[in-house]
Amino acid sequence: MDISLKKRMGKHIVNVSIWIIALLYSFPILYMAVTGFKPEEKVAPPQLFFTPTFENYRAVISNELTLHLFNSSVITVITVLIAVLLAVPAAYAIAYGKLKSAQSYYYWFITTTLLPAVAVVIPIYLALNFTKLIDSRTGLVLLYVGAGVPLMIWLVKTFFEDVPFELIEAADIDGCNRVMSFFKIILPLIKGGIFSTAMLVFITTWNEFFFAVNMTYNKAATLTVYLNRFLTQQGYFWAKMCAAGTIVVFIPIILGFFTQKALVKGLTVGAVKG
Amino acid sequence: MQTTKTLVKPKKSPIRYLLLPAVIFVAVVTQIPFLMTIIISFLKWNVKRPDIPVTFAGFDNYAYIFTDSKFYSVLINSLVQSAVSLVLCTVLGFLLALLFSKSFKGINIARSFIIVPYFVMESVTGIIWKTLMLSPSFGINMVLSKWIGIEPVAFFSSQLSLVTIIILIVWQWTPFLFMILLAGLQNLSEDVLESAKIDGAHGLKLLYYIKIPMLKSYFEVGMMFGLINILKVFGLVFVTTQGGPGVSSANLPYYVYRTAFYDWQMGRSAAIAVITVAITLIVIQSFFNLIRRRQKGVA
Repeated sequence: MDISLKKRMGKHIVNVSIWIIALLYSFPILYMAVTGFKPEEKVAPPQLFFTPTFENYRAVISNELTLHLFNSSVITVITVLIAVLLAVPAAYAIAYGKLKSAQSYYYWFITTTLLPAVAVVIPIYLALNFTKLIDSRTGLVLLYVGAGVPLMIWLVKTFFEDVPFELIEAADIDGCNRVMSFFKIILPLIKGGIFSTAMLVFITTWNEFFFAVNMTYNKAATLTVYLNRFLTQQGYFWAKMCAAGTIVVFIPIILGFFTQKALVKGLTVGAVKG
Repeated sequence: MQTTKTLVKPKKSPIRYLLLPAVIFVAVVTQIPFLMTIIISFLKWNVKRPDIPVTFAGFDNYAYIFTDSKFYSVLINSLVQSAVSLVLCTVLGFLLALLFSKSFKGINIARSFIIVPYFVMESVTGIIWKTLMLSPSFGINMVLSKWIGIEPVAFFSSQLSLVTIIILIVWQWTPFLFMILLAGLQNLSEDVLESAKIDGAHGLKLLYYIKIPMLKSYFEVGMMFGLINILKVFGLVFVTTQGGPGVSSANLPYYVYRTAFYDWQMGRSAAIAVITVAITLIVIQSFFNLIRRRQKGVA
């Protein structure tokens, strides 16, 4: 009895330490969220005890934040929709097209993700300036679709390959054309995968920093730009900054929670099989 | 298998046209601008001086860069930053994955707390670490130093700024490696582990001879994707140190940016960008070859 008690105690200690490590790891985020509820004078230097206030959140939810929230949402949603429409057919062609060059197309798409944004910034700035798309939502959407499509193809192709080709052949024999078999047979099987990958593109687009900062001024500026400006202009108001930061990271964290499984699967399935 | 393939194969599959829109779009947004960057890298072009005409400069920009001591500091920063971050992320991610692969009630929520930083945008990561955490006057840095009884650590001094950037990258990218390796651990075949245990492999032996080799492809995928993204880190540097003091924490992407938007030297900036892409390709290719050679060696 003594031994089993010791064992149980040991188990509890391990479990508790796991929780402590987990909370310590995300401490900066938790601390940010809590600081958002502190009155400004309790923030710097930090004080443990305070009466929570909604003042900071109320103060940062302004017209300005709403504009940038609107920009981020519109830009991200349209980017994801276009990326899905472009990437899913392409991934289908790579997976089932029996094209000689399918593999090279696939690697080509993956290679484009290696390209750092700074390597194209000057021509893109010139091109957007020339087409009057600087500081426009359209301009950002075009850039983000260009970045999102390769990422989607990379992951979605592995989901397609999970579907046995025999299923499609059987549908062919039954007189089902490829468009029909895609919507009736394949899509229901992989829609979860496509959805999660789309969410991943959502998160990376929502969080994008470089182009957002350099290709917009105010009209089309996203939340990343807004936060960065907040730091430079009102960097002394930490509590307000934390409130703004908490609002901004809320959506990607929630989405991330639901997409992690598919992200891992999309990245590893192909590699582990191969 | 072979026969079905030849039977079904159409002569000129119309499926190829499904690829076209994506290929054209991605080429227009990424490849063509990069070709233009290569062209610009051969120009002498200062945006702030429209009176000086843009002229063809041959290899002058490249010659300038390769004789510039700042460039070499930035290059070394970049390589150190990427290599150290990648190794730390992998080791830390794996240790956490081992610890968190236990299952008990609520473990999924505990795991999420490790994963969260991966989904936080770079600008927020930079801001909270720069202020709440590491600020020597009001951050946790101050609180802990006071508690221990030492001077607050100057995380943004020229000696430590690169280390600080590495800490931030590690904090942000360890969760990614953690996710991948945890999935690997959960997919390990119970049969193999069981028979290894029967054969007397326990603890560290089991880990080193059985688990790690079985997770090889997970390590590869995670490290490859991590490396690709760590090489591109920009926002963290931009928000926290601006590459400074001097160029002590600047990496190649940030240096490209600074040359274009602070020095206004478009040609030179483009040349650094071209060199950056070349180095990225070399690094990724060597990493890939390393994996391949390992694979052959094992087989």
